[in-house]
Amino acid sequence: MKVAHSDEAVPGPLGNASDKVPAIEIQDLCKTFGKFQAVDHLTLTVQQGEIFGLLGPNGSGKTTTINMISGLTVPTSGSVRVHGYDVRHSAREVRQILGAVPQETALYEELSAWANMDFHADLFGIPPREKKQRINAMLEIVQLTDRKNSRVGTFSGGMKRRLALGRALLHDPKLIYLDEPTLGIDVQARRAIWDYILQLRSQGKTVLITTNYLEEAQALCDRLAIIDHGKLIAVDTPQHLKQSYGGSVVELETADAISEVAKIQALEGIKEVKQENTHLTITTQGTGNIVPQIINIVSQESEIRAITIREPDLDEIFLRLTGTALRD
Amino acid sequence: MSRPGYHLRVIWACMKKDIQVSLTDRIFIILGVFLPVNFLILFSLFVISGGQAPTAVVMNDTGPYAQQFYHAMAGAHSFILQKATSSEARNLLQTGRIVAVVTIPADFETRIQHNQPVKVGVDINNLNMDFTNDIRRAVPLAITSFYAKAFPDVVTIAPHEIDQYTQDTDYIPYLTVSILVIALVVGGLLQSGTSAAREWENATMKELLLSPASRWAIVTGKMLGALVLSLISVVVVLAVLIFIIGVHPLHWGAMIGFTLLTLAIFIALGTLLGTFLKQRQAFTGLAIGIALPLFFVSGAFGPISFNVPILQVIAQLTPVYYAIVLQQYAFHGFILNTYGLLANTLILFGFAIGLIILSAFVLHRSTVAN
Repeated sequence: MKVAHSDEAVPGPLGNASDKVPAIEIQDLCKTFGKFQAVDHLTLTVQQGEIFGLLGPNGSGKTTTINMISGLTVPTSGSVRVHGYDVRHSAREVRQILGAVPQETALYEELSAWANMDFHADLFGIPPREKKQRINAMLEIVQLTDRKNSRVGTFSGGMKRRLALGRALLHDPKLIYLDEPTLGIDVQARRAIWDYILQLRSQGKTVLITTNYLEEAQALCDRLAIIDHGKLIAVDTPQHLKQSYGGSVVELETADAISEVAKIQALEGIKEVKQENTHLTITTQGTGNIVPQIINIVSQESEIRAITIREPDLDEIFLRLTGTALRD
Repeated sequence: MSRPGYHLRVIWACMKKDIQVSLTDRIFIILGVFLPVNFLILFSLFVISGGQAPTAVVMNDTGPYAQQFYHAMAGAHSFILQKATSSEARNLLQTGRIVAVVTIPADFETRIQHNQPVKVGVDINNLNMDFTNDIRRAVPLAITSFYAKAFPDVVTIAPHEIDQYTQDTDYIPYLTVSILVIALVVGGLLQSGTSAAREWENATMKELLLSPASRWAIVTGKMLGALVLSLISVVVVLAVLIFIIGVHPLHWGAMIGFTLLTLAIFIALGTLLGTFLKQRQAFTGLAIGIALPLFFVSGAFGPISFNVPILQVIAQLTPVYYAIVLQQYAFHGFILNTYGLLANTLILFGFAIGLIILSAFVLHRSTVAN
C-alpha cells in the first residue's frame, strides 16, 4: 500500500515539525455552541504509528473533536497540534498531512472513480507526472481498477468506502482519519477495510478512527479514548480498559429464579449483579475467592445448570463508564 | 509546483469538476438554459398579444373616404384589423375572437361630402378593461387622423415633434434586451447556487474544505465553472434575439463585456446564497423569487425614470437596473439615466467586486460546524 512520497505534493516545507513529535496533541481543548459545551477541557495525545479509536455515544463530542483536529471547526479554547503543527495557524500544512475518510465518503457520485481521484490529486498538488501512476496504484490496492471509469453512484457501500479510503491515501498522508469506516456495509467488505487499516499501521501511518462498533475498536485499535459529554472518560489499550474497569463476568444459569440477589451483591469484590429470570450476570473485580462464594449462595436456592467466567466486553466497559450503550 | 501554478491547477480542477458534475444533472441544465429562453418567449408573447386589440371593420361603404378612414384606423397602432361582413363580425364578436366591431355606414361618403354628422358604430366586447380603453382611445384618434389627412384645413392644430434620439425604439427590441439581462441573472444564479448547494447537500464540501487548496482558488474555480455553464443559456438567448427577433447589438464589445460583468455578479450572489442555504431545492425557489422582482423593479419594461420616485430609488439599489441600462446602450446606443456610460459601468463593476469578495469570504468562513 506504500505510495512513493513526494515533497512536491506538499506546498512548503514542514518547518519545525519532527517525526518524533506526537501525531496528535490535544491540550485543554474546549468547544461551546452557545450554552452547549460540546468539548470540555479535553487533553489527549496520539503517538505516531498508532491506530487510535475515539469512542463515544452520539452527541458525546467526538465529531466536534475530529473537526477541530482537521481544522474544520475553530476551538473555543485550548490547542490542537498535528505532527507539531498548530491547527489554527498552520491549517494548510495540517490538511496536507491528513487523509480523511468522512462518514458520508464525500465522493462525487456523478463522476467516475478515476475522476474523483484525479480531482483529489489536483486539490492536493500531486505532481502531474506522478498523478496517473499513483491513481492507478491506489485503484489497484482498493481493487477498483476494473470499475475506474464507472460512475461512483453505481457503486455499493463497500466499494464507495474503499474508493474513499484510496482517495484519502492518494497524497500519502501521515495521519489518516476514518469516521465510522465500516458503517452500513456488509461483513465481507468490513473485513477487507479492516485489512487495509491494519496495513496502514505496518507502514508507520497514524490512524484515527471513530466507530460505533466496539468489536471493530477491539480488533483494530492500539488505544482507545472514551468520550462522553465532551469529556475524556478513559484512555488506554482495550486490554487495560478491560482490566481497569471490568474485572471478570460470571454468568450463571439456574433451574429456578433465585431470591438471594442481595446476598451476592453484598459480597466483597462484587461490582454489579443483574438478574433475568433464571440467568444471573455478575461483574466482579477479580475471580479469586468470589466465585466459590457465589456458587455457594446460588446452589442453596437452586440447581446450577451452567456457569461461565469470562472477561467483560467493551460494550460492558462502555456502558459502565458512560451509563449508556454506544449505539443509543 | 510553484504556489501560483498550484492555485491555477486548483482553479482549473474545480472548474472542470463542476462542469462535469453539472452536465450529468440534466434537470438543472434544462432549468438553467431553457428558463431564460422561456422568459423571452413568455414576455414576447405577452407584448405581442397584449399590445393591440383584434378588431373587425364592416365596410358598408367602400368609397375613398371610407378607405381613408380604414387606413387612419390602421395607423393608430392600436388595432389588429380585419375586414368582415356584418354577420361575420357579429359572429367573431360573440365567440370572443375579437374585441370590437367598427361599422362604417353605407352613407359615410355622402355624409362626409355634405359635411353632415356620421355615426361610426363601435360594438365592444368589454370583458377586458384594458382592451376596452384601447378601443375607446383609438377610435377618436383614428377620426382625428382621418380629418387631418382628408381635410387639413379643418384640423389646424398639428404636433411639431422633436425627437431626442435619431430613431424610435420599439417595445419588443427594448423588452428583449431586458430579457437578456434576466437570462444572465437567472442563469448565473442557478448555475452557481446549485453548484454550491450541491456540495453541501452531498457532503462533498468536506473534500474541498479538507484540502490544502486556498478557498479563493476553490471559489474562483467554481465561479468559472458556473460562468461557462451560464454562457450556454446566454448564447441561446442571444441567438433567439439576433436571428429570430432581429435585434442586433450596436456595440458588440460592450455587450460581451457587460454580459460577463453581469454574470460575475449573479454567479457570486448564487455562490453566496447556495453556501448559506446548502439545499438545491430551497435555493432554486429563492433564486427565482429574487430574479423576478428584481427584473420587474429595474426598468425592464420601460425607462424607470418614467416611474414614481420610490421605484426609481429601489431600482437604483439593484445591479439589475445598471445591467439593463448598459445592455440597452450596447444594443440600442442610448443611456437610460443621466449618470453616463462610465459611472454606470463602475457601479456595476463595484457590485461585481463586492459580491465576489463577499461570497469568497462566506465560503472561507464556512466550516462543517462553527
